[in-house]
Amino acid sequence: MFLQQLVNGLTIGGIYAMIAVGYTMIYGVVQLINFAHGEIYMLGAFFAFTFITVLGLPFYAAFPLAMVCCAVCGVLLDIFAYRPLRQSPRLAALITAIGMSIFLQNLAMIIWGSRAKPFPQEALPAYFEKTAVSFGGVNLSWFHFFIFVLTIVMMAGLHLTIKKTRWGKAMRAVAQNKTMAALTGINVNRVISYTFALAGALGGAAGIMVAAFYNSLYPTMGYIAGLKAFAAAVLGGIGSVPGAMLGGVVLGVAEAFGAGYLSSLYRDGISYAVMIIVIILIPAGLFGRVLKETKKSM
Amino acid sequence: MIPTLEIKALYKNFGGLEALKDISFNIGRGEIIGLIGPNGAGKTTLFNCVAGIEKPTAGQIILTHGDRTLSIGGKKPEAVTGLGIARTFQNIRLFDNLTVIDNVKIGRHCRTRSVFFGAVIRSKFQQAEEKAISESAYQFLEFVGLKGRGQEIARSMAYGDQRRLEIARALATEPQLLMLDEPAAGMNPQESRDLMDLIRRIRDNGITVLLIEHDMKVVMGVCERVVVINHGEWLAEGLPQDVQNNPKVIEAYLGTGAANAA
Amino acid sequence: MGKLELQKLTRGAKIRIGLLIFALILPFLPFVTDYLLHIAILVLLYMILALGLNIVPGFNGLLDLGYVGFYGIGAYTSGLLTYHFGLSYWVIIPLAFMNGAIWGILLGAPTLRLTGDYFAIVTFGFSELVVLFLTNEIWLTRGPLGLPGIDVVSIDLTLFGGPKWEFIGELPYYYLAIVMVLITVFVMYRIQDSRLGRAWFAIRDDEVAAVSCGINLLAYKVIAFAISAAFGAVGGSFFARWMTFLSPDMFKFWESFLILCMIVLGGMGNIWGVMIGAVILVSLSEVLRELLPLLGLPADVRFLAFGLIMVLMMRFRPAGMLPIAAVAAQMRAGRTKRRKSKPAMGIKK
Repeated sequence: MFLQQLVNGLTIGGIYAMIAVGYTMIYGVVQLINFAHGEIYMLGAFFAFTFITVLGLPFYAAFPLAMVCCAVCGVLLDIFAYRPLRQSPRLAALITAIGMSIFLQNLAMIIWGSRAKPFPQEALPAYFEKTAVSFGGVNLSWFHFFIFVLTIVMMAGLHLTIKKTRWGKAMRAVAQNKTMAALTGINVNRVISYTFALAGALGGAAGIMVAAFYNSLYPTMGYIAGLKAFAAAVLGGIGSVPGAMLGGVVLGVAEAFGAGYLSSLYRDGISYAVMIIVIILIPAGLFGRVLKETKKSM
Repeated sequence: MIPTLEIKALYKNFGGLEALKDISFNIGRGEIIGLIGPNGAGKTTLFNCVAGIEKPTAGQIILTHGDRTLSIGGKKPEAVTGLGIARTFQNIRLFDNLTVIDNVKIGRHCRTRSVFFGAVIRSKFQQAEEKAISESAYQFLEFVGLKGRGQEIARSMAYGDQRRLEIARALATEPQLLMLDEPAAGMNPQESRDLMDLIRRIRDNGITVLLIEHDMKVVMGVCERVVVINHGEWLAEGLPQDVQNNPKVIEAYLGTGAANAA
Repeated sequence: MGKLELQKLTRGAKIRIGLLIFALILPFLPFVTDYLLHIAILVLLYMILALGLNIVPGFNGLLDLGYVGFYGIGAYTSGLLTYHFGLSYWVIIPLAFMNGAIWGILLGAPTLRLTGDYFAIVTFGFSELVVLFLTNEIWLTRGPLGLPGIDVVSIDLTLFGGPKWEFIGELPYYYLAIVMVLITVFVMYRIQDSRLGRAWFAIRDDEVAAVSCGINLLAYKVIAFAISAAFGAVGGSFFARWMTFLSPDMFKFWESFLILCMIVLGGMGNIWGVMIGAVILVSLSEVLRELLPLLGLPADVRFLAFGLIMVLMMRFRPAGMLPIAAVAAQMRAGRTKRRKSKPAMGIKK
């Protein structure tokens, strides 16, 4: 039971991490909680679904293509919904984000119907089902491995991108101080769009994996997953990418154990509770910095 | 004379920056004290420590309240206001979108009490209190020379009038010590003269005044004693003319050459 | 009122009295069906809720995303008290008010020291937890099965040897709702024009200056939050005794968002704007609910329209249709306002 829950926790934790880094990166550059991020995650699943069932693409092609579409969606979201409000107060941007989230959820409902759909399992590689490793009464299938490996690769890739590439450095600069970044020649808007694209791609990938692994996709799947991933980002320290990764895994494991040992009814509640407690007691999270109040000009 | 405010060995660090180092001086009841020094000397930081917006790193700030003395370093700002220290801000912080009279009425907040039930039921107590708030607010407006301007929106006033409104609001808190942060900034000579007159009238009403100011005419014209700080340290103190001729003070403002030339 | 005094009333006041008279005679107009009355009561209920929520973003400038939590707590508390103890509604109203206020204080005290984003998220989490609780604690709430059989409102004079008059149909609820709305508006006006209201506006305008006037930020924010929650709970109590049936899915986040939309659309902080927002959105919701199936679309798509409306409003008219000066100025000035350098996330000193 313990091992089973651990495996479950790590699996879903990796997924939460992938969504959480999206929240945290966007918050880092534009100081906005992108409520619609969960919907990009959901769209990833639906794009893949559509590519497979309607266009007949194989899984290995549909996956990256859907990720690209999600990246584009993220950029469009920024350009049309958030960029015009860059100078507006937070309240307006927050309401816009929620509005977009609701808009996208319902758009998906119109296009694909509101009922949950099974993911076309036949499109998945046959060996996914097979058990790769078995220990302590737990079976790890190749699908499990696929998810673990993909999650780790993507997280590592993200980490390298942020640390080593020019774009990564530009993102960090914009996150620290937009004005200075602009003064050093960085095209701030472009960097922000890039961030949204990256966040969108990762979120979309997470959506596809969840839909395929749990064999179900529905338009409101982004709502809950998004909220939990946000809790993970808060836990790790909003603005910190490694924090979001760690927060995602910790939350996933906590949820699995909580649901397994305490109460499966309150599975979702665990995330909300964690989030509230973390915010109240340690708002900086595990890795974040409590941003010092910028010196008031008096 | 019992000092109204004693500042003893006050230190304030921001991370690695020592903004205030071992500052000590006293303010006597009914005095008008000027606090001067070059930009960045730590004057506003001192104000903030006294007002409770910053917590001193070390040292004491002692207020004489009635017949007791209280250490107020580290107290919350609203508590400090309640104890009778009011301040204005270098950049003027009015309630821009409220009326002039509402700005002053809010100054009465710390001396009044009614909250929800009073507001809804309009008890006799609340009604009397509202009447008193209103009357005193209009009086404060008149005192600073803004009579009849109550219904204007604060944001739309001229700069000089905004300064006076901020002073009226501070006076409404019934302070024993009023701290003004560069009140003459941006004023023309006539306005400065009116300001000096206002400050004297404030003092004549029994309020002690501590004044940060760069305008030397105002400092010389209205302050009885001047305290000079530079780089967060006490530099000199005394009568305005004496301080004006103090070579160390001249050096601080103008550089070594000027001090030698004086 | 003599003719001369009638002329002294401002145009605004005349309009309002006219609307009130219209509202009072509405049920007797020829085209008004029970269905229309039902919608009208819904409008009035949302007016109360919107006015309650208005206190927090409108008077205080904070975003409360969890308002439906108080609405739900109020509804279920009233429903359960009625179901198990048969309490009279006239006793329940003050109880709901106090219950809401207590929950407001419980949630607000630890969270109102947080900055805007964190506060919004925490309230969001709170309302989700409320729904989870209502759904899962079946022994208490009957969970997803819902709570039926709640007594209707009644005026019971049997103690004094008089009759017991039960509310049957929509009509009595309609007039009760009007009375409740009037009381709510009355309270809001009284607060606006008082020391409490001024303290809130000061906080909204410039927190540092407010503190320098002796205003305790946390205490006054908690008061605002508690009163807002109290009205939410009272709205919930009305809902429980009117619908006579409750289920957890009536209290989802969507309701919070809808009420927020009403405030934003009508003009945050403006009592009349908020009421107009309620009228528009509830009517729009019902119109779309009927219209969309005729166009071959699921009725729930109206949510999509609302999401879009909010996005467009924020883009083009963020202060709402009847903005008040303070909010309009803040929306214009936004983050470039020179003195407001707040931390992005974190605890304020």
